[in-house]
Amino acid sequence: MKLGLGRLVCGSLIASAGFVGAVSACELKIGVPAVLSGPAAQWGIALRGATEFVAKETMEEKRLVINGVACTVSVKSIDSKYSAEGAASATNAFAAEGIKVIIGPVGSPEVTGFKPVATRNRMVAMVNSFAKNSIGPEWPTVFHIGPGPSGWAAPIIDVGLQRYKFKTAAIVAPNDQGGTDIASVNADIFKQRGVTVTEEYYQRGTTNFAPIVTRIMASNAEALDLASSPAGDAGIIVKQIRQAGFTGPIFRLGGPGTDEIARVAGGLDILKDFLWYEPVYMDDNMRALEQKYEKLMGSVRPENSDFFRWTFAARMMIKAIQAAGTIDNAEKIAAAMRTLPVEDEHIGKGYWIGQKFFGINQEMSYPFAIGVIQGGVKQPLIRAEAVSEK
Amino acid sequence: MESFIATGLIGISLGTQYTLLALGFTLIFGILGVVNFAHGGFYVMGGYVAYYCNVILGLPYPVAVLMAMLSMAALGWLFEAFILERVIEDHQATLMVTMGFYLVMATAILMIFGAESPQFPFPVTGVWRLGGIYFPYANMIVLGACLAAIVFVYWLVYRTNIGRGMRAMSEDLPVASALGMRTKALFPFAFALATGLAGGTGALVTPILALAPHVGDSVLAFSFLTVILGGLGSVTGATCAAFIVGLIEAYAAVYLGGSKGALTLFALVLIILVVRPQGLLGREVRRS
Amino acid sequence: MNNRVPKSLPAEIRPSLFSGHDWIALAIVSLTFVIPFTSTNPQVLSQTNLILIAATAALGVYIMQRLDLMSFAVPSFMAIGGYTVALLSMKLQLTDVFVLAAAAFLMPALCAIPLGALILRLKGVYFVLVTFVLTEIVQLLLFEAGPITGGSNGLVGMPAVKIFGMDLWDNPHVLLTTCGLAFVSFIITSVFTRWFRSEFAAIETNDVLAESLGLAAWKYKAMAFSVAAGVSGLAGFALVNMLLTAHPSSFAPMSSVNYITYTIVGGKASILGTLIGALLLVSATDYFALSGEMSPGLFGLLIIVVTMVARGGVVGVVSGLLYRLAGQSPPLKNGEHDLGVNGEKGQ
Repeated sequence: MKLGLGRLVCGSLIASAGFVGAVSACELKIGVPAVLSGPAAQWGIALRGATEFVAKETMEEKRLVINGVACTVSVKSIDSKYSAEGAASATNAFAAEGIKVIIGPVGSPEVTGFKPVATRNRMVAMVNSFAKNSIGPEWPTVFHIGPGPSGWAAPIIDVGLQRYKFKTAAIVAPNDQGGTDIASVNADIFKQRGVTVTEEYYQRGTTNFAPIVTRIMASNAEALDLASSPAGDAGIIVKQIRQAGFTGPIFRLGGPGTDEIARVAGGLDILKDFLWYEPVYMDDNMRALEQKYEKLMGSVRPENSDFFRWTFAARMMIKAIQAAGTIDNAEKIAAAMRTLPVEDEHIGKGYWIGQKFFGINQEMSYPFAIGVIQGGVKQPLIRAEAVSEK
Repeated sequence: MESFIATGLIGISLGTQYTLLALGFTLIFGILGVVNFAHGGFYVMGGYVAYYCNVILGLPYPVAVLMAMLSMAALGWLFEAFILERVIEDHQATLMVTMGFYLVMATAILMIFGAESPQFPFPVTGVWRLGGIYFPYANMIVLGACLAAIVFVYWLVYRTNIGRGMRAMSEDLPVASALGMRTKALFPFAFALATGLAGGTGALVTPILALAPHVGDSVLAFSFLTVILGGLGSVTGATCAAFIVGLIEAYAAVYLGGSKGALTLFALVLIILVVRPQGLLGREVRRS
Repeated sequence: MNNRVPKSLPAEIRPSLFSGHDWIALAIVSLTFVIPFTSTNPQVLSQTNLILIAATAALGVYIMQRLDLMSFAVPSFMAIGGYTVALLSMKLQLTDVFVLAAAAFLMPALCAIPLGALILRLKGVYFVLVTFVLTEIVQLLLFEAGPITGGSNGLVGMPAVKIFGMDLWDNPHVLLTTCGLAFVSFIITSVFTRWFRSEFAAIETNDVLAESLGLAAWKYKAMAFSVAAGVSGLAGFALVNMLLTAHPSSFAPMSSVNYITYTIVGGKASILGTLIGALLLVSATDYFALSGEMSPGLFGLLIIVVTMVARGGVVGVVSGLLYRLAGQSPPLKNGEHDLGVNGEKGQ
């Protein structure tokens, strides 16, 4: 990798020599490894939509100006297929084009495959995934767009405990990393509150959950947590467990997707008492962001509400690049990012967290919302303040 | 005891779904000698056609199911006649072609209907209960449809000239052709029959479970299991095996848990195959 | 279909071990050794890596094809090889590339022997389906055996492998390791399949007849299954080494379909077909990934078109064309090129 190092040195030399007056065009290329096929496609579509939106916004409003030159921003997205290889190969393709700035990927297997390649090629990235090792001290230039259940499950469970009486709960999730990493974190938080927990894992690809539902019913659970079960699966589980006669509250402590769960389950009446983590609190600010997207991109925003978090993440990246004054030095951009306050024009202020859970303070924590359906009626979202570790 | 009976009922509901899928799968294998990797695609697309007719166009649900069956039969006919037929004598080529067609179908669905599940409810809700035992009415209707499909397939295969022709071809194609069977007409017909069944199954089952572009993936694995267990090409075998698989899956999953249940099911199937390679009711191995 | 007897071949002469296609395939694989030393482009390195891993894995399919058996078991054996390497290097600090490669080959090859005793009696579609079920079972075992395999998280944080005490850690070195593993696999496969080609051909054509004529078919089947497993294990090693992680999602049951596709689309008749198939289809996948949601559909369309147009695979059609250009008639049609079915053995 001598040549790679040489290139890096050259890159920073050129960047720092910029002020001399060599007016070079500033072209920022953002790589987006996004899952665009298969069951998780909607997550990748939200990621891609948000990044393309931020790229356009940055150019139209001249938000990225380096050495007096307004940068053009383009987005290259490659299908990372929700697999480690897919993400690794997409990342290598970005590296080949000299792309240093990455927004994505979404899922745990992808992030697993992505991190070593990104670190090898000196990239700076904003990743998602609820895995227990999404970020960490081994990957100093990898940032997390928001906390997993470690950050927000506790306040939601507390709201549930205020409204409903339960002493036992069952958690159901797929038997892979995307499931077990979340379910075990949720289980700990339930236990801390004196709730007895049973964990049920199913094989991804299961389409009929009646046997799992029977197990849950036999465990006499008074509450259910769907954790990170994909929305389609979660919908079937809800439908079947209500058919089996379950009347307790249902939590969804594993990401958005409530609308889709309701569609599959057969309506809000079936969800009945339902609490979930909603990435953003929909207020006038968020609606303004939606409208801005429509105006700029000429279409409605991607349905998956992780769109918002990706938008905040991509904007944060642009700000860090602006602060670092370079579009291709990952270390500098990462260093600048760490010093910037977590703040976005639409959602407001947040915090850097992650030291406690991941051992590195590189997780953005913004205000979020708790969704509640009570007696089959959607209640107004409850705004929850950003989690802070201080 | 209650949970034992409740689990049995779950096993039966699973069995009906698997029967409906396996019937078509095994017909295609028995008659054409083709392992249809696109079977799950016809299932999902049938679901989407029914959704489109029922929810978007507002047609009554039974009409939507019928439309799903007819359209998938038509698509199956075209696929067999224009693509599969050209490579029919090379079993590996048929595998490639059906696999490719599945990818094309799944992508087409994703492009047209998007990645997220639409709301496609079964018109009959409600659950029959007796103590801790329950059985949703929708599942009863699917069970009824499944029985009707079994009767229909039996009647067709064992009581009609078309069926005799198809059986003759599955026994010995060269002799059957020499005796004047019109394979050119019967092959697409058999394929269309099977894909029509798959489409109808999708229309019936996806509203009970979920409709999404990827739900066909697991259909393939379970059709495989059922059909190898029953004996490839045997209609009776497939039917019995579907209920056996359903019951094993239900009991294993309920008493051992989700992923251990699946493991038990696969391991049992493996053992049965090793002991009885031709399946429960299969014939001598067909060279393929 | 393979029972053509070449017109002029003295029965006592065994033709040269390697055919032209073998030489071309081996030459291409050995040429890839140049890439790690001449290129630093991550895209080139990564693509070469992926293609070689895919081709090596597909050799497992190719070997079983010699017996007219279609195997879906490749990911299972890749997983055994890959996890063996990850465990050895993480738990026992064994990082020598030769030791690891030997383990990655032997472990799956040994596992394949008792398995083969169970399932090699099956033929045709039954073999296809059983190997498919086997892959599903291995995938579930990876999840269930958490203490050993790391369960759903896999085994993360492998140390870099070493050659003569030197670390092979960066992009070119990782590719170098893959090149070495691929080259060894191609040599093993071509020597093995060519050495016993007449026996295999006899079994492929009619194993009952071959057995009744005194050929111990089970012995050759078991050997082939075992070698195929070993070669798949080497591919698993290369994959785990590239990702520095042994993760269950790398060995997903449906990936077996890809390996079969490489072999058949490339042309199942010669080892060159496997290599060309992997080269074409991995490149196509990479290219299609740019079109996002469309990519699986485009891939499917490509498979259909190639299967319909190029019967006998890409290599079969191309070599047919070359023969025609040279004014000769191809020795065998449909790309059934020079299988060494010449009837002098096993009959």
